[in-house]
Amino acid sequence: MTVALPWRTREDHRCFGCAPRNPHGLGLTFEQAGDALWTEFDLGHHYESYPGVVHGGIVALICDETMGNLIVLRNGTPAVTTSMRMRYIGTVHVGLPHRVAATLTSASPTLIGAAADVTDARGDLVASATATYHRSAS
Amino acid sequence: MTTSTDTPAQITDTVRGIVAEVLAVPADALSLDTDLRGVEGADSIKVLRMIARIEREFDVELEDEDVFGVSTIAEVSDVVRKAL
Repeated sequence: MTVALPWRTREDHRCFGCAPRNPHGLGLTFEQAGDALWTEFDLGHHYESYPGVVHGGIVALICDETMGNLIVLRNGTPAVTTSMRMRYIGTVHVGLPHRVAATLTSASPTLIGAAADVTDARGDLVASATATYHRSAS
Repeated sequence: MTTSTDTPAQITDTVRGIVAEVLAVPADALSLDTDLRGVEGADSIKVLRMIARIEREFDVELEDEDVFGVSTIAEVSDVVRKAL
């Protein structure tokens, strides 16, 4: 079942990654499975770098979005990305379904670590991300 | 997760297990000096997938110079040990 993000009813919710009413955004939706939060995407040519290949920056954005929303759902408050590292492994193809699954890896009073894996329709890992987030006061 | 207190032998065993799983070969068929890119069925994507698994397992970020410079389990284990 799709997870309801805390700001879904705000009129000014225009997040490029997950706002349903941003016509230029990705409109990602999320589901929970155990400790993980995941989303699926299948992007068109507007999001490519080389022909037929989803731009690596877009892939990173989806990883960041999934990890960040996982933290929000766990903690109830936003957290901001302070650093993120990508490991690109294979090709994320335009027009094919992919999944990003995020999990938390560490937590301190100020910082939270998370990881995300991007897999293709066969379940093969095509990219992975690790990131650190700073807890926001509100 | 594997930790920085692991001995070099434990690191090597863990690396060997991940390599065997990703390349779908028996662990005991892999010696420390096996050329990973020479294993049947191995390709550059599988090697990167293996590196990603190893980075996650040991919670390290390997430098690309190391990733593309290593070719054996012994060499991978060595860069992991230095990164811990």
